[in-house]
Amino acid sequence: MTRPAPIDFVRNAEAALANPALHASVRRAMVRFRELQRAVIGEVPDWQDLREYAHRVKMHTLAHLDRYLEQLEAAVTAAGGRVHWARDAGEARRIIVDLVRSHGGRAVVKSKSMTSEEIELNEALQTAGCRVVETDLGEYLLQLAGDRPAHLIAPAVHRSRDDIARLLARHLGVPVYDDPRDLTQVAREALRRAFLGAEVGITGVNFAVAETGTLVIVENEGNARLTTTLPPVHIALMGLEKVVPRLADLAVFLTLLPRAATGQRMSSYVSLVTGPRRAGEADGPDQLHLVILDNGRSSIAADPVMAEALACIRCGACLDVCPVFERTAGHAYGSVYSGPIGAVITPLLRGLDVAGRLPFASSLCGACGEICPVRIDLPRLLLELRARVVGGGGARLTERAFVRGWTAVMAHPSRLRVAGRLARWVLRVLWRGRLPVPFPLSAWTRVRDLPPPPPAAFRDLWNTSRRKETGP
Amino acid sequence: MSARDEILARLRARAPSEVLLPPVRPPAGPAGDVVDLFARRARDAGAEVVVVPASAWPARLAENLVGRGVRMAAVWDDPVLSPAVASLQEAGVAVVHAAGQTPQQLDACDAGLTTADAAVAVSGTLVLSCGPGRPRAASLLPALHVAVLPAGRIVATLDELLAARPASLPSALTLVTGPSRTADIELVPVRGVHGPTDVMVVVVG
Amino acid sequence: MTGDPARPARAALWVTCLVDQLFPQVGEAAAAVLRRAGVDVDVPPGQTCCGQIAFNDGFWPEAARLARKFLDDFADAPAVVAPSASCATMVREFYPLLLRDDPPTAARARALAGRTYELTEFLVDRVGVTDLGARFPHRVAYHPSCHALRGLRLRDQPRRLLGAVRDLELRELAGAEECCGFGGMFAVTFAALSGSMLQAKLAAVEASGAEVVTSTDCSCLMHLAGGLSRRGSPVRAVHIAEILAAR
Repeated sequence: MTRPAPIDFVRNAEAALANPALHASVRRAMVRFRELQRAVIGEVPDWQDLREYAHRVKMHTLAHLDRYLEQLEAAVTAAGGRVHWARDAGEARRIIVDLVRSHGGRAVVKSKSMTSEEIELNEALQTAGCRVVETDLGEYLLQLAGDRPAHLIAPAVHRSRDDIARLLARHLGVPVYDDPRDLTQVAREALRRAFLGAEVGITGVNFAVAETGTLVIVENEGNARLTTTLPPVHIALMGLEKVVPRLADLAVFLTLLPRAATGQRMSSYVSLVTGPRRAGEADGPDQLHLVILDNGRSSIAADPVMAEALACIRCGACLDVCPVFERTAGHAYGSVYSGPIGAVITPLLRGLDVAGRLPFASSLCGACGEICPVRIDLPRLLLELRARVVGGGGARLTERAFVRGWTAVMAHPSRLRVAGRLARWVLRVLWRGRLPVPFPLSAWTRVRDLPPPPPAAFRDLWNTSRRKETGP
Repeated sequence: MSARDEILARLRARAPSEVLLPPVRPPAGPAGDVVDLFARRARDAGAEVVVVPASAWPARLAENLVGRGVRMAAVWDDPVLSPAVASLQEAGVAVVHAAGQTPQQLDACDAGLTTADAAVAVSGTLVLSCGPGRPRAASLLPALHVAVLPAGRIVATLDELLAARPASLPSALTLVTGPSRTADIELVPVRGVHGPTDVMVVVVG
Repeated sequence: MTGDPARPARAALWVTCLVDQLFPQVGEAAAAVLRRAGVDVDVPPGQTCCGQIAFNDGFWPEAARLARKFLDDFADAPAVVAPSASCATMVREFYPLLLRDDPPTAARARALAGRTYELTEFLVDRVGVTDLGARFPHRVAYHPSCHALRGLRLRDQPRRLLGAVRDLELRELAGAEECCGFGGMFAVTFAALSGSMLQAKLAAVEASGAEVVTSTDCSCLMHLAGGLSRRGSPVRAVHIAEILAAR
C-alpha cells in the first residue's frame, strides 16, 4: 500500500490567498456568524458554567465509552433498533452498502453528516449502484458541483450565488435565478421529489443518549426530519464519541450547540429518535439501524493528552473565529475537518506523517479556545501536537538548526552578547541595502521590512547608565 | 473477534479517568411570565404567535386560516383539537385526519394542525410528541404548520422540560423552533427550504 | 505615594530577549516607568530568553532547557515584570505544562508564575497606579495582543494607563480582538497568511486615524512596524512603556 501524500498546507493556503474573492466571501460569512453568536451567547448568564458542565460530561463519558456504548446499544435494541459496529471506514461502508442492498434499496436520501464524508460513503454507495441524494441544501449544491464542504455547518460558504444559479440551471433545466429564495425553491422541489421516492434515509447523529437509546439530530432545514420520516429504512451513522449519558444532559448541549454553531437560541428542528416507527403509527421508518464508527477514535480516547479533542460537538465556532480558516477556507486543510479542530483531529485520525504540518498552521491567537462551547483547549492541543511532530523527527532541517542554534546562544549570556552584536551588525548592513536579504530573514521581508538596527543591546546601555548613576 | 468486541476491548484497555459525571443541573427558578417570553422568543425565531382565550380560539383560528387561503388542513387526532375541526369545516376548510394521508396527500395539504405537548419559553420552542394518530409529517410536509398550545404547558427552560423525563419516550420527539430555514446561499436567510415556510402557534388560555 | 505594605517596593525587570537585542529603548522606558511608580528595579544580568519561540514551534526539550535557566535567573526576584504579555504568558501558563515531567521544577515554575506580571498589569493591579505623569500629544490606537487578551486575560489595564496620559487621544481599532498575524515562527513559515492578517490589521490602524499604534508586545509591534514601513505609512508603532515614559 502506498503512503498517502502529506497535506501541504503552505501551498494550499497560498493557492487560497491568490483568490481574494474567496477570502472576502468567507470573511463576510464568518463575521456574520460571530455577530450572531456573540448576541445569543451574551444573553446566557451562566454560559461559562454550561461550558464547564459540558466539558466534564464529555471528559467523563470519553473515559467510560465502553460502558456508555454498551448501555446505548442495549437501549437502542430495546427500542426496536439494530446496532452495528465498524472498526474503520471500510467496515462502515460495507455495513451500510449491505443494509441498503438487502432492502433492495436504490434510492437513498442523506442528511448532512460529516462522519459520512469522513468515510467517503457516497462514493461507495454509487459504486454499488445506488442513487444517493444529499438533501441539505449546501451539500446538495456541492454534490451537483462535484465539490467538497468548506465549513462544518456552512458547507457551501465558498460558492457565490451566481455560481449556484448557473449550477442549478445546468442540472435542473431551470432559468438562471438570482434571488436565493428562488434558488432555494427550485432545489426544494427537486429534493421533495427525491424524498417522496426514497427507500433508505441516512443521517448522522449529534448526540446519542445512553440511558434511553435516543438519537438526537439537530438541523434547520427539515431535511433530516424528512430523512427520518419518509423512507422505510433509517440508517444513522455516528462516531463513537457522540454518546452522552443522560437525557437531561441534552438541556446543556442543546443550549450550547445552536448558539455556538449558527447563533440561534435553538435550531429549527431537533429530532429525538427512539427506535423505529411503533405499532399504530402512520409514519416513520420500519427499521432503524445505528452504525457506531471507531475509525481511529478509540486510539484518541486512549491518549490522555488528546482525548479532549473527542469532546467536539462539531459546531464550527472555532472555524468562525479563526483568522487562518477565514483566509484559506476549509479545503486547504485537506480533510473534511478543517479549522482549528481539523488541525487537531486530522493529524490524530490520519497520522502525523500525513497531516503533521496542520498544527503549525496557527498563529496561536487563542480565539478558538475561547469560543469552544465544550471548552476544548485547542491552542494547547495544537502545541502538544507540534511537540509530537518535532519529537518524532518531523521538523524541517532549517527549523531544527535555527532552534538548536537559538537555544545554544540563549543558554549563556556571554554567547548572547556576541551573537547579538553580530545580529545587529548584519541588520545594519541589510538596512543599508548593500546585500540581498538571506534566508530565513527573506521569509520575513516577503511581506514586511526588518526593524531598524539599534545602536546597542539593552544590557549594554543599562550597565553604562548604572555606572553613571552609581559613580566610579 | 467481532468488531463490537474489539472496539469495546480497545476502549477498556485504558486507565480510568478521575472526571466524575457532574450532577444534572437543577432547573433555574421561575422566569416570570413564561407565556410572554415564549411568544417573544418564538416570534424572534420566525413563528407567528397568537394568544387567545379558551372560548375564542377555534373561531379565531378558522378565520385566520381562511384569510390565508387554506382550503385543506390535515389534523392530528387529539382532543385538544376537536373544537377546531367543526369551526374549520363551518368556515369551508376541508379537514382530514393526518394519520390517514399518504405523504403525497399531506404534501398537497395547505396546512398541518397539531398540538404541542410542551413548549420552552427561553428559546420559543414547541415540543411535539409523535405517535398513533399524530404522524411526524403533519408538521413537516404542508407549507403551513399550526400548533395549538395550552398555555399551562409552557415551561421556562430546556432543563425544566428534560428534568421531568417521561417514563418512555415516543419514537419521535421533535423540537420545533420557527419555520424551516437555510442560509446556505451566501448566508441569506431563506424560509421553507424543506419543511413549512410558516409556523403559527395558537397559545390557548 | 503612600506606604501601602502590600505594595511591591522592588521588582526584577525581565526585559525579554527581543527588547534586549532590538528594542533597548523599550527596556529603558519600562525601567523608568517602574521607578516613577516608586518601584526599585533590578535587572538580573544573566537573563536571556524564556524559550517561548522553541516551545511554540514544538521544540520542548530545548524550551525546557531555557525555562530551567529562567527559573534560576529569577529565583530570588520578589516580582518579575516584563514589557511583554506574550513572554509573561509563557511563564504563567506554559511553564507548568512544559515542565510537567519534572515535578520539582514544575513546582518552582508555578511559584514563580504567581509573581510574574506583564508591565501594565503590574502597574495597575499590584502597584495601584494609573497616572504616571506622562504626556504624549498624539492620536493613538491600542492593539490588544492575543496574549494580553486571551493569554493573561488583561482587562482594561493598558487602556486605563493610556487614558491617564496627557494630551493622548485614544482611537478605536475595528476588529481589535483579531490577531495581527505575528505568531512567532508562523510569521515566516506561513508568511503569506501572516502577511494577509497583517494587512487587515494595518488597514484598521490606518482607518482609525491614529498616528501611533501601541501594544504591550514588541513582537506584534515589530511585525506591525515592518508592515507600516513596507506600505510607506506615516503611522509609527510604539510600545506602551515608551508612551507611559514620555514627558
